Amino acid sequence: MIASIFDLILTSPILQRALVASLFVAFIAATSGSFMVFRGLSFLTAGVAHAALAGAALGLLLQASGFAPWFSPVLGAVIFAVLMAVLTAYAGERGIAQKMEVAVGVAFALSMSIAVFLMYYLPPAMIPQIWGYLFGDLLLLDNLDIVLLAGTALSLILIVILFKKEFVYVSIDMEGSTAHGMSARGYHYLMIIVAAIAIALTAKAVGAVLVYAILVAPAAASNEVLKTVNGVIIGCFVLALLAMLIGLASSFAILASPSAIAGIVAALMYVAAIQVKRLRR
Amino acid sequence: MEGKHLTNHPHLIEAESLSVKYPNGELALEDVTFTTDASTFLAIIGPNGSGKTTLVKTMLGLLKPCSGSIKVLGYDAKREYNAIRRLVRYVPQRDHIQHNVPMKVKDIVLMGRLLKKSPPRFASDKDVDYARDALRRVDLEELWNQPFPELSGGQRQRVLVARALAGEGPILMLDEPMSGADHDSQVRIVDALHEYHEESQANIIMVTHDLNPIHIVVKDVLMLNRTVMGIGHPCEIMDTELVKQVYGPTAYIVELDGHKYCITHDSGIDDHDR
Ligand SMILES: Nc1ncnc2c1ncn2[C@@H]1O[C@H](COP(=O)(O)OP(=O)(O)OP(=O)(O)O)[C@@H](O)[C@H]1O
Ligand SMILES: [Mg+2]
Repeated sequence: MIASIFDLILTSPILQRALVASLFVAFIAATSGSFMVFRGLSFLTAGVAHAALAGAALGLLLQASGFAPWFSPVLGAVIFAVLMAVLTAYAGERGIAQKMEVAVGVAFALSMSIAVFLMYYLPPAMIPQIWGYLFGDLLLLDNLDIVLLAGTALSLILIVILFKKEFVYVSIDMEGSTAHGMSARGYHYLMIIVAAIAIALTAKAVGAVLVYAILVAPAAASNEVLKTVNGVIIGCFVLALLAMLIGLASSFAILASPSAIAGIVAALMYVAAIQVKRLRR
Repeated sequence: MEGKHLTNHPHLIEAESLSVKYPNGELALEDVTFTTDASTFLAIIGPNGSGKTTLVKTMLGLLKPCSGSIKVLGYDAKREYNAIRRLVRYVPQRDHIQHNVPMKVKDIVLMGRLLKKSPPRFASDKDVDYARDALRRVDLEELWNQPFPELSGGQRQRVLVARALAGEGPILMLDEPMSGADHDSQVRIVDALHEYHEESQANIIMVTHDLNPIHIVVKDVLMLNRTVMGIGHPCEIMDTELVKQVYGPTAYIVELDGHKYCITHDSGIDDHDR
């Protein structure tokens, strides 16, 4: 059994790409998802993934209409993600998470409306590309997707290594950090914009549904039970990777979408974490 | 060095017809003028909504005056806030601290030192020594390795006071550091700040809406109600006419051991502890 799995991995480039992609997505979840949960902004992940959808629709429309052939869907997705991030960060400049939550909600609704509005004008042949942003599939990745994921993961890891303390300080006490002379506002924007770009690029590769399942639930689960910042980051990596591996493995057994299974597993992990926390009391 | 010279500036705060307005048009401070000498232990008192937090934030350059000016150790808060922030250690009002980040108590206390460094902000042995000493001063040494979010409200306040004590810079600004703290924690906080002030001569600016617990340790009191209602030594401020004017007709003064205390309808009640 084990030998045949290895055989399959060695001979199937599709599976190899899926495994490598899972690894990179787990790194992205650990570095971006954890900090969004610390900042009280897990909802931003879902919001940005949908804003990316609207951006991609705009990109496709501009290409299809011949108005701006250079404007690629990925560019549109990133621009919309950054706009949403800036709006959210602006609402939270005083450090208050609730205000950002409202801003995300508004931007979420706006970008979904824009997406639906634009899709109405797209040639029907292009619609599946839009749905690709929503329901990407770990088993349908090409080499370009892998490069995109690798670049995103490595940049995020570097940024988190450099600014982990600053991001944590901004999350705990933005006003106090500013008052002590740290440029908290700059780090606040950096953290949210970088996360948004990462979410948009990851959504392009693996689909928005997997993005918010894998970037939010594992981080939230490990933040419930683990007691240090590094612990949560590592725990999030392990849970995210595990969810995707279970998704891939069971997609062979029961012919289901690996992203969907991974999402369900991740959600169950969060429920389990809450139970663990309750039992500890 | 110019910075050195200004740190020896004789006045801690110089406010000149300062007015501060919020974007919604609320005029939180109007025509505030006063001067306090360094080094002092200053209490800023006044009822809820009287502009205490607004004044502290304006001193830090977090809010901008709409007219007039305020200087901290000679630096203008509107233009030279970077210089002021280098001198200050600040504890914001309680509801500004988020508890969903899994930090240990030691990480919070060390923050007081690491925020003043430049990245990568590594903690040296000296930083750790200062942090431990600060936590000892508020009597919570044994919590060094405990998760901060799991502490009680009063313990958290003491840890935040320790964060200020651990840091460096000649000014500590604390916005209602005793809110949510029980009597014991209040006493620990007051004693720790008093002891630290006597030892280091650091200036302490403490916002509070109840002067009584700190009456005998503070040197100066500023009483605010949108503008300056009074400034002076604690017993000078505790004037029957004045407290009735600020806190309403039910407020009165009692004398105890030669000190005057103000009793208002909300004395001892902490309205931030909802
Ligand atoms: N962000 C804001 N936007 C608009 N108005 C504000 C804001 N913050 C405070 N205010 C108003 O400014 C006035 C002074 O508020 P401030 O917070 O300075 O009072 P305070 O003396 O610190 O009160 P408390 O004892 O409740 O902390 C109040 O009337 C308040 O409603
Ligand atoms: Mg206040």
